[in-house]
Amino acid sequence: MLTEAFLAALLYGAVTAAVPLLLAGLGEQMSEKAGVLNIGIEGMMIAGAFAGFFVAYHSGSLWAGFGGGILAGMAVALVMALLCVGLGLNQIVIGIGLTLGFEGLTALMHHFLFSRTYPRLPAAEALAIPLLDRIPVLGGALFNHPPVVYLAVLAVPGMAFLYRRTQLGLNLQAAGDRPAALDVAGVDVTATRFAAVLTTGAFAGLGGAYLACVGAGIFVPFVTNGAGFMGIVLAMLARGRPVWVLAGAMLFGICLALTTAAQVAGVNLPTDVIQMLPFLAVMVMLVLFGRRASLPAALGIPYERGAR
Amino acid sequence: MTRRHATGIAAAIAGAMLAGTMLAGAGLAAEVKAIAILTPEEGTDYGWNQQGIEAARKAGEITGVEVMVAQGLGYGDVRPTLRELAEEGADLMIAHASGYNTAAPEIARETKVPVAIVDTPEALTPGLIADYTLSGHEGAYLAGVMAAKMTRTGKVGIVVSGEPPSWNSQSAAFALGVRSVNDKVEVIYAVIGPAAYSDAAGGKRVTESVIAAGADIIFGQGNGSSFGMLQAVETRKAVDGGKVLFIDVIGDKTPIDKGHLLTSVVWDITPVYVAMIEDLRADRFGTRSYAIGLKDDSVRLLKTPQVPDDVWAEVMAVREKIVSGEIEVPAIFDATEVRKLMTRVEG
Repeated sequence: MLTEAFLAALLYGAVTAAVPLLLAGLGEQMSEKAGVLNIGIEGMMIAGAFAGFFVAYHSGSLWAGFGGGILAGMAVALVMALLCVGLGLNQIVIGIGLTLGFEGLTALMHHFLFSRTYPRLPAAEALAIPLLDRIPVLGGALFNHPPVVYLAVLAVPGMAFLYRRTQLGLNLQAAGDRPAALDVAGVDVTATRFAAVLTTGAFAGLGGAYLACVGAGIFVPFVTNGAGFMGIVLAMLARGRPVWVLAGAMLFGICLALTTAAQVAGVNLPTDVIQMLPFLAVMVMLVLFGRRASLPAALGIPYERGAR
Repeated sequence: MTRRHATGIAAAIAGAMLAGTMLAGAGLAAEVKAIAILTPEEGTDYGWNQQGIEAARKAGEITGVEVMVAQGLGYGDVRPTLRELAEEGADLMIAHASGYNTAAPEIARETKVPVAIVDTPEALTPGLIADYTLSGHEGAYLAGVMAAKMTRTGKVGIVVSGEPPSWNSQSAAFALGVRSVNDKVEVIYAVIGPAAYSDAAGGKRVTESVIAAGADIIFGQGNGSSFGMLQAVETRKAVDGGKVLFIDVIGDKTPIDKGHLLTSVVWDITPVYVAMIEDLRADRFGTRSYAIGLKDDSVRLLKTPQVPDDVWAEVMAVREKIVSGEIEVPAIFDATEVRKLMTRVEG
């Protein structure tokens, strides 16, 4: 049963499942660094999933679909930024509202546009990394994916560089930890937080578009299935480090693949127990590493100049 | 007025009140003007939701009652919707999702409007709560027979997006159907998630793994996730390089098929809803469970161009044996028993 093809398919599936979580986690991480608890990320993902699929299906271009997903995610993020950063409304309430609202809206749009035909996209074209793709099992599973997967992974060092080596990274950190100090330094806290939330929307929208266009090849209502919330968990566990988001996303994806492997191999355990594995792994991570997690001091607190 | 007269008048009044109450009760029992159905997804899924809504509408036509449809409600809290439908005059609310099994009985007790729920036979409450734990297991057995006759690789897969009783019984019956033809054929069983009904990406991912493990026919049970399964069979080749075929449940996906739909275990829930309305009118609602089966064609197998005529004829011969009682297909609802069966088939 555990043939090379099967193991490769499992690992391939693990990567496919991990990418939307990685993108959501990286996006959420940026918001949180800047002090905005972005509970609305699930809404941004579902909007990105719908728009991404809609554009990809009608244009025939996966890249156009990703662009559509990014724009849709940013549009939802703009609402979040206006209400939470601009007007200082409760971030949790607005986030939940956006998630529920866009889940409903996209379900409605699906009803009008796709619910009679259920269009599907062809399999996404993969880009094989020369030589590496020939490694047995791992080659096909890790080095033969659509280019957007490599871009998502490359975003990890990119974000790490941004946070550690650039002024913008410091500004983001300050906006989340000591927004008043940032303000005193002459940097616009609101603009910084706005930019962070919009970037989160871009990441989440791309993650949603990837999930619908590549992961599923179809859009159905509620297709994100809580991926955005998993992204929030990963961002919190990662303590501001993008590489930990990648590790968490891959761990979750691999655990998902292991649950399938265990079932296919006929492991005689209740399915519920097997299905707990990914969540158990995240909880173990939380216990081992999360206790030392320090969230930004001003996370979730709207900034008002001069307020004490 | 003597004491005897007073007693007589009191007795007459009491008798009249009792008769009035009985008449009123009979009147209430007989009066079913409107029913409502609540579904988690849109009624255009070529599956569970669509079949439920269409059946409710047909039952409404047959029995002459208005049908209110609340669709696409998701898997969250439907209490507000139930209260709203009760206020709008629904005489029966059909909560068409196992996820509504807690909320619907609560609202039934609160509003006194009867509800029908799924997958909870122990919840039967006369006059208030009925259960319709339906199972197309007889049809799934036939699908298993067909799969065993048509597999090229000697491996078939079952992919489910959860383990509700209805699907468990179909998974078990499918495996039994496979074994009845050839016990060398392996049945690979995989659950996408605890309640991954709309997880199309998960459906695709798990189905791809099952195909990679050798299955060339997939028996898929899911709501939105089944479209991910369909996508997987359309975009992946079997290990022998040939086409992967898909067996669907409950609905008929022929209009959106791209040549991979082998068959479907189609349910017609209309007789069940008609029976519920009649039971409500006859004041026996909530006293019995409902069933569908091959005998009255409320469960049937779909004929598609992928099924060779000789295979279809053989499968229909098995159908006759089930209808006549010569073959008895057990309804196995427990997930543990289902898994044991898979292990045995695999061994």
